[in-house]
Amino acid sequence: MIEFDRVSLALGSFRLNDVSLTIRKGDYYFIVGPSGAGKTVLLEAIAGLHRPDSGRVLLRGEEITALPPEKRKVALVYQDYSLFPNMRVSDNVSYGLRVQGMGKKEARAEVAPLLERFGIAHLTDRYPGTLSGGEQQRVALARAIAVKPDILLLDEPLSALDPVTQEKFIDDLRRLHREDGLTVVQVSHSRREAHLLATRMAVIIDGALVDEGKAGIVLNTPKSREVASFVGIENILDGTVTANEDGLATVVAGGLVFEAVTDATAGEEVTLCIRADDVVLAAGGGRRTSARNTLAGTVVQVVENGPVAEVRVDAGVTLTAVLTRRSVQDLGIVSGTPATLSVKATAIHVIRSFS
Amino acid sequence: MKTEALSTDPFPAKTVATRWKEHLGRHIDWCTLGFCIMGGLLVGITVLALANIATTELADPAHLLKVAASSQVIESILLTFGAGASAVLLLILFGTPLAYVLARSRPSRLKGAVESIVDIPLILPHTVAGLLVYLLFMRRGWLGAPLSEIGLAFEDALPGTIVAMLFVASPFYVNTMREGFEKVPVHLENVARTLGAGTFTTFRTVTLPLSLRHMYSGAILAWGRAIGEFAGVIMIAYYPFIISTLIYYSFTTDGIHTSRSIAFTVILVSFGVFYLLRRMTRYLGRYDDRV
Repeated sequence: MIEFDRVSLALGSFRLNDVSLTIRKGDYYFIVGPSGAGKTVLLEAIAGLHRPDSGRVLLRGEEITALPPEKRKVALVYQDYSLFPNMRVSDNVSYGLRVQGMGKKEARAEVAPLLERFGIAHLTDRYPGTLSGGEQQRVALARAIAVKPDILLLDEPLSALDPVTQEKFIDDLRRLHREDGLTVVQVSHSRREAHLLATRMAVIIDGALVDEGKAGIVLNTPKSREVASFVGIENILDGTVTANEDGLATVVAGGLVFEAVTDATAGEEVTLCIRADDVVLAAGGGRRTSARNTLAGTVVQVVENGPVAEVRVDAGVTLTAVLTRRSVQDLGIVSGTPATLSVKATAIHVIRSFS
Repeated sequence: MKTEALSTDPFPAKTVATRWKEHLGRHIDWCTLGFCIMGGLLVGITVLALANIATTELADPAHLLKVAASSQVIESILLTFGAGASAVLLLILFGTPLAYVLARSRPSRLKGAVESIVDIPLILPHTVAGLLVYLLFMRRGWLGAPLSEIGLAFEDALPGTIVAMLFVASPFYVNTMREGFEKVPVHLENVARTLGAGTFTTFRTVTLPLSLRHMYSGAILAWGRAIGEFAGVIMIAYYPFIISTLIYYSFTTDGIHTSRSIAFTVILVSFGVFYLLRRMTRYLGRYDDRV
């Protein structure tokens, strides 16, 4: 639908470098990256608010590099919602229709169902300054949807909301994407949001796009150590392949020997990525399992987080496993408990140094 | 025995001085009080000057009324206010776009140079400002010559007064307006653009309404500066008499008595007008900026 072909642009000292990406119709496309990476600039470039210094932007195959934002049929919702403070809720929501030539009464009638849908009909005559964060966000979303955009651009829309409102809003967004078939591009630094919503995603670091593809693939099989770190893989170990037998490689990392499924050959420097979800922990000596990697160690920390707990085990290197809190209680795991960790060779993602 | 009983009392009776000290300590912020006294001295000079002229003038109300009701004074006040308003209208027309460009452009040498040029009338002696205007708009000036050919004369004419007022008042309007535009978040404009508004529509429907208070304040400041100008104006347009020229003329020809009455009349009129204008800002361009 919209395609960036080697787009570069400079904004003061910041530079977006050679970015190529494709957003397809119906995608829920996530742009993730650390703070200051250029996510919002990229989003604004999609909106047409920054003109690239080089490269092309294509919409349905036609070049739109110089097309101004008002002609792109995109709608943008910022993190701070950016409601017009001098306009009532109804005027905010109908603004897009009004500037596109619709009469005031007609525009108000047009957005009335939208106000009902987002549960803000009772706020019609209120000014934005009197609304709560959640209400402001629903108004901002309704205002964006009112102009029936081809692409909805969201800049970290959940970051300023409390957890309960976040859950409601995630449901709203999911419905917009699935039921309305809207193409959505969302900037975020939350892996959880990406897990819940994204169909495709791009990782941007220091103005460069370092990974792009289906959300599951980017999240679980990152292309580089920095992407692995950013997408939240808990156990990242640098090591060297010492042998490879029919695609099952032996890797020495942090003084430990791992087996992992990879084509990496002996002598190759690699990075092992192990999700904490994929680490099985047995208290004490454990039992024999089919897992190719079994490591003995001692629990050094248990961090409870809702229904689960992150258990950090010193097995020569510190590895993290995620267990349910019930498991932690049943196994009597506390700091100092001897433990055995098991990881299947197929659960280890190997990043090869040349990739 | 009595002394012993007093010394062991856990809540000894407080002296009047102690109670006063505690009362003052609770209710008075000494820092704020100090600032009020220092600021009060500044306001005091103005109050003293006004009291001085008022006392003298109100002692002879018949003379004051005679001077205030004279056609020359009334015409001069109207001319001054009208010329100032014309200068402000021109500033709104040309200064608003300039202020917007300055507010929205990224820092650069060119921007710095333009900002310095805008501020020049602030740092120049008024006579120098007047001379600059005169040299440019006199009959043989770069702009005065071609404009006089199409019938627009500036020397000793109302256009000369207006252009001199415009020149000296421009930094007050442009800088205030620029601050107003800078306070409007760019995100609001970006959102308006993506909703289908072109650049000018965004400016007209979002940026300008949110900057109205600054526009009004800038216009009042500029108008006040314009109607108070003397040296800048007389260099190009001694005639027609604006109020400051009339006071100077009266002072040099009729003496202090008449010129003081004209000055007091102007003070009363100006104070009334500015008070009304300031009151009006309460109702203009107000919005809840908690968003």
